[in-house]
Amino acid sequence: MNKTLKMFLNLTIVGALSGVILAYVYSFANPLILANKEKELKEAIFIVLPEARDYKVLEKTVDKEKLVVYKGIGADGEPVGLAFEANGGGFQGNISIMVGLSLDYLRLKGIKILEQVETPGLGNRIGEPDFENQFKGVEITPKVEYIKNRKPEKPNQIQSITGATISSDAVVKNINNAIRKVLKAFPREEVMKAGAGAAEKEDEKGATPAPAVVK
Amino acid sequence: MADGTHSLWYEFKKGLWQDIPPFRLVLGTCPTLAVTNSVINGISMGLATLFVLLGSNIIISAVRRYVAPQVRIAAYVVIIALLVTVADMFLAAKFPAISKALGPYVPLIVVNCIILGRAEAFAQKNPVLPSIMDALGIGIGFTLSLATMGSIRELLGFGSLLKFKILPGAWFEPWIVMILPAGAFLVFGTLIALVNYISAKKAAGTETH
Amino acid sequence: MENNTQGATGAGPDTGGKFIVSSSPHFLTRDSIPGIMHSVVLAMVPALAASVYFFGLRALLAVAVCVGASLLTEYAMEKIRDKPLTLHDGSAIITGVLLAFTLPPNFPVFGFILGSAFAIGVGKQLFGGLGFNIFNPALLGRAFLMATYPVLTTTWVEPRTVARAVDAVSAATPLAMMKFEGKLTPLMDLFLGNVAGSMGETSVLAILIGGLYLRYKGYINWKLPLGYLGSMAFFGGIFWLSNPAKYPSPLFHLMAGGAMLGAWFMVTDMVTSPVTPLGQWIFAVCAGLLAVVIRLFGGLPEGVMYSILFMNAFVPLLNKHTRPRVFGEGAKAD
Repeated sequence: MNKTLKMFLNLTIVGALSGVILAYVYSFANPLILANKEKELKEAIFIVLPEARDYKVLEKTVDKEKLVVYKGIGADGEPVGLAFEANGGGFQGNISIMVGLSLDYLRLKGIKILEQVETPGLGNRIGEPDFENQFKGVEITPKVEYIKNRKPEKPNQIQSITGATISSDAVVKNINNAIRKVLKAFPREEVMKAGAGAAEKEDEKGATPAPAVVK
Repeated sequence: MADGTHSLWYEFKKGLWQDIPPFRLVLGTCPTLAVTNSVINGISMGLATLFVLLGSNIIISAVRRYVAPQVRIAAYVVIIALLVTVADMFLAAKFPAISKALGPYVPLIVVNCIILGRAEAFAQKNPVLPSIMDALGIGIGFTLSLATMGSIRELLGFGSLLKFKILPGAWFEPWIVMILPAGAFLVFGTLIALVNYISAKKAAGTETH
Repeated sequence: MENNTQGATGAGPDTGGKFIVSSSPHFLTRDSIPGIMHSVVLAMVPALAASVYFFGLRALLAVAVCVGASLLTEYAMEKIRDKPLTLHDGSAIITGVLLAFTLPPNFPVFGFILGSAFAIGVGKQLFGGLGFNIFNPALLGRAFLMATYPVLTTTWVEPRTVARAVDAVSAATPLAMMKFEGKLTPLMDLFLGNVAGSMGETSVLAILIGGLYLRYKGYINWKLPLGYLGSMAFFGGIFWLSNPAKYPSPLFHLMAGGAMLGAWFMVTDMVTSPVTPLGQWIFAVCAGLLAVVIRLFGGLPEGVMYSILFMNAFVPLLNKHTRPRVFGEGAKAD
């Protein structure tokens, strides 16, 4: 009996104390962790939408899938484009890409590879600026395409990385998939209308004249 | 190993060579293989483990008389998990880049055999002070091991150390394999062989004298 | 560690007049290891000549560097391990030549040295030297280089343009063209070797001459190359028949890439292939199937190297389980 009680007390005390300490640490750490994530997201959005100084989150659930897009807002308070994440399989694991779409829904404004585990030296060159920058201004109709060992000929083409066709293909495929979903879920007029809400934010912006966060 | 019969210095020193975790005890090999593709990752992982090990050794050694032996493992695991979660949150809050690079391997310190091994083999039988020395020795030994792995792999795999270019690209073509898991196994095996070789030489030397 | 250098037991090849009694089987052969190895080297001369013809003197340089580095590594490792030197048996020369054969013509010299050092140092000596290695050392060296320099090991040049370094044209191998662009190479070019590829693998003709010479000398077990090539043709043929527009013909499978070099000089490696007839069939057929599967469905255009290395790992298992039953043994009554 005494032994059982001791065991019971041991575990209860250890568990309770740990809980209290964790809650205490969490209360400090969590805001910082959230701020880090927010900062990361913001930087990614501002890279793919270079003119953006602020953004607005638009959410929608289509077929039980939650779609999130970020509407970039420029220095003058006008919308400058749409950013969203494209996720999908690559050569080895998930590739996560931030995609920037122009406001007329016709071309890309830029992409940024957020996460990837492609082969170092080959596939992981999708994360290099040389590859990413190719997507600037690429047309999305009928869809983005890649071409091998040659300079792109059509406005909707980019050149794949030599020796890393599978990774290049995955990037293009993921982007096309995401674009298709976003175009369906967020028609242009609706997004522009949602932009009206940005007017409220404009006042804030006026007070602090648009500091460029991105380095 | 030691029950108060050894000096504190011995408790500290043994973790640096004689019982150096990955190479002599072959404990904690999972992070040793997984997160040592750069020096900074190796050192961060080592320091996070050192923090957890130090905390767990102190707490477990302090409460060793009060914990019922039947539930000691459960209690130890809760204590270790607490320390690991704190370390994980700290890294995520203050060093998001490192936290991202180490990924799931920080939470996985909970199941790192070094921690529970030292708790069982040392802290629960020894007073607080020797336990601190033990944790420091083993923890620093582990950190140095990971830093060594990280240095070799970063130097050969990227031609740099701590992101600082050492080998000029003109005459050095980075060995991509060193950044890949295969490179971790190659370096790990080579280092174990080296440590064994030196130990054998040392042992042979002391025998004849 | 337990090196008893006092020599009380006097272990070593020199039996010192002791009468040795051992159980059967007793092998009696006139062939020595150096003899076999030198025949193999001779058999590789046609392929080397073709290589020099198509890719220039650089092929000769590559072979020389690889052989030199292999011999040097063998020497150094045996010195460190305190073992008798075996440089004269020629096995390191074969490894060096084969490694050079599997690399692109414009591969850098330091890569040749690194690959040879790995092939001999890790692939052979760490396992205990000739006869104890599980994997074909040359292929292991090539696999290491593939992981180390993924771009350099897959950058090819057109034949005969290497010597004119000014306008060395980068090119795709026939297998890469088939896989990524759906273009087939004329079979005659493949047969002669007038295509981009690794130095020693392009000329089917030259390799066949060498392979058949070895077969004539009796140093190649016919089951291995036949099983490997037959399996590639068979499984490649099944896919070809199912969709001729998408998959290449069996003949293309046999003549493109490293199939011939692998079948005659690597699958047949005495150390890393099974010793029993059934084991040899299983080994060769499975490797051929793997090569076809990797070529058609894998991320890489060529699968010969990995197919052989993969099956190398099964050799001890195959030897153990395909041992023929000794007369009177087994068949336990339940």
